[in-house]
Amino acid sequence: MARINPEFTDELKKYGVFDANACYNCGNCTAVCTLSDEENSFPRKMIRYSVLGLENEIQASLDPWLCYYCGECSTTCPREADPGELMMSLRRWLTAKYDWTGLSGLLYKSLTASISAFVVLAGLVIWFGAYEQFKLEPIMHYGHLFEMFAIGFVFTFILLPNIIHMWWITMVKSGKKASLSAYFKALGELIVHMFTQKRALGCDDNQFRWFEHFILVLGYLSLLFTTVFLDWFSTQSIFIIILGYVESAIIFVVTFDFVRHRIKKDQAISKNSHPSDWFFVIWLFMMGLTAFITRLFIDINILDTNVWMYIVQLIVLVQWALIIVPFGKWTHFLYRSFAMYFHRVIELEG
Amino acid sequence: MKILEYDVLVVGGGIAGGESALNLANIGYKVLLVEKELSIGGKMILLSKVFPTLDCAACITTPKVSEIARHPNITVFTGAEPLKITKKGEHNFEAIVLQKPRYVDVDACTGCQLCEEACPVSVTDEYQFGLAGRKAAYIPFSIASPRAAAIDIENCILCGACERVCPPDCIDFTQTEEKLLVKIKSVITATGFQLFDPLKIPRYNYDKAKNVITSMQMERELAPTRPFNTVLRPGDGKMPDNIAYVLCTGSRDKSVGNPICSQVCCMYSIKQAQLLLGALPMADVTIYYLHIRAFGKGFNEFYAQAQDMGVEFVKGKVGKITEKENGNLMLRYEDIEAGVVKEAEHDMVVLSVGVLPNRGIDEVFDNKKLQLDPFHFINQTDILASPSKTSIDGVFVAGTASGPMDIPDSILSGGAASAETTSYLRKEDSK
Repeated sequence: MARINPEFTDELKKYGVFDANACYNCGNCTAVCTLSDEENSFPRKMIRYSVLGLENEIQASLDPWLCYYCGECSTTCPREADPGELMMSLRRWLTAKYDWTGLSGLLYKSLTASISAFVVLAGLVIWFGAYEQFKLEPIMHYGHLFEMFAIGFVFTFILLPNIIHMWWITMVKSGKKASLSAYFKALGELIVHMFTQKRALGCDDNQFRWFEHFILVLGYLSLLFTTVFLDWFSTQSIFIIILGYVESAIIFVVTFDFVRHRIKKDQAISKNSHPSDWFFVIWLFMMGLTAFITRLFIDINILDTNVWMYIVQLIVLVQWALIIVPFGKWTHFLYRSFAMYFHRVIELEG
Repeated sequence: MKILEYDVLVVGGGIAGGESALNLANIGYKVLLVEKELSIGGKMILLSKVFPTLDCAACITTPKVSEIARHPNITVFTGAEPLKITKKGEHNFEAIVLQKPRYVDVDACTGCQLCEEACPVSVTDEYQFGLAGRKAAYIPFSIASPRAAAIDIENCILCGACERVCPPDCIDFTQTEEKLLVKIKSVITATGFQLFDPLKIPRYNYDKAKNVITSMQMERELAPTRPFNTVLRPGDGKMPDNIAYVLCTGSRDKSVGNPICSQVCCMYSIKQAQLLLGALPMADVTIYYLHIRAFGKGFNEFYAQAQDMGVEFVKGKVGKITEKENGNLMLRYEDIEAGVVKEAEHDMVVLSVGVLPNRGIDEVFDNKKLQLDPFHFINQTDILASPSKTSIDGVFVAGTASGPMDIPDSILSGGAASAETTSYLRKEDSK
């Protein structure tokens, strides 16, 4: 027998949800959801689990990741229980649960902790700049080294263990049996979802947003590759230089549009913004913009006299790489894709 | 301005207002009953049968309506409404009543319907809720009271055909709007309710899918004075054999601005389901519900009876209705008991629309404020001790003007309002 836990919704409130207890279980949300099907009928079941506080059932479920938050359930909910935002909050809560360090939960729940972390990292970068007497050459050198180090470290010690943890919770612990061959056969699904988010196209009238998100992901991943492995800031190749400009421009243009919607609250998906959502879009925007300007300063030969610009870009980068990527909203990129992958594995076995 | 004097003004000639008027008239008060439609009898006179007894609604309404129409102490104005009601003091109100022209001398009209035959203009019949047509010169419906013709001047082409054929020569295009000053001692507001407009829920496709109808339309299809003389789906005239009911259409739904229960939809849907099983013995009827609220006397037994008769009850709110090429409808819903989203095909869908307040009566009161409740029904200021009392002394409320309720409750409420009005009037008499 499951033990109910009425305090669970209070815990969830810290992750953004408003009033799940208003739900009277009519199932309208599940019925209007274009992604919901006979195998995975959501979000009502998740609301029920949340109201009852059945944490194990929620942790074992992949459903929160199968939702792309078109918001139709929230706008048509007869009780204004906001099921779409509940699913979003569950994704935040699950991110915290998958994270073995526990820092995700801390940063999601406490705005003070998040801001302190951003401030401390900014301070460290400035201190490092001062230590190097604000000379561009060594700062850029270590900056580039930091990028490679951060990628390796965050992936090996945070993201990889967390993915394994997610696999353990959702697949092994919950008793879903799957053969090795199913895991192998479903690999294609992982790649496809990771790079195209094609499931989001199943949401009604979502083509434009999907396209924005799609080019944002491609722009982001390729900018990462261009700066880290093609050494965009030091390269002489005109092709790579232009490539980097285009990629960084895509990032700040698309994220500017996302921020605009979040301010205007004109779509269901942009109506409720948790601090973690703001951090994610704003930092991504600043990443694109500062990288663009930094390279521009290099190209018009004024970066030497304006080292502060590189410092700013490095601050944004360090905060991004050490806070948002391992513990923040960035992780949805991995968890969503893997959830889709595990979902496919279960389908193949089923 | 013509000045008239009565003891009580009853606003609204439905079953609640009618009951109040009759009670007051029977004990000797002079009553003016003002009805905005062309016939008294309200919504009830248009219904098929009543729950849970399955008595014929018209058979209960029409004798009452005739009694009201013929009562020496009751004056009925149809096609009329109060524009302004002013409280001059206790037991002293003044109302300005607008009498809209009917273009027919009601007393002279014999109801022969020759004008209907002669009239060349066909429009949709609002008293059949769009299921059939009517002429611009028409008798509202066969059991209307008064059963007299009216000219729909909006659609009339002024050809004069009706005038030429009318035997008693009662059609009079020279009639104009008339304002009357009415002095009364007390007012009963029995302004009734309106039905939820399903166009506010676009995902139910009420405007596009031809075989999605409202419960009031189904009520007309089942009534003795029904338009088709049998139950047909309006899209192609086929006899339906798999009918779905969508409960809580526009009730208990904050997203359309009506968070409260309409109190009658569960029961009238169960009633219609039973009637359908009688009218179409081969048909399947499925009711999609959130919670069945069968709280009145004999209601739960009535619900159980429907189950025993084979009506299927599925727990889950219908999320979307889409029309197939053959006119059938696909309903998407979550089967709450299984926790699984499902699709079901039906050849006719009835939206069990909810009860909303008729707006505007509070603006009629001139110098005193008629309080409304948060849902825009008339506020009962002393709901437990004196349920007909409103925020204005001497103004009482009857029937669904104070909130959703069924027919027996409306009649009770009409009775209560007449009793409280009497006691208010007696206070003056005893002075």
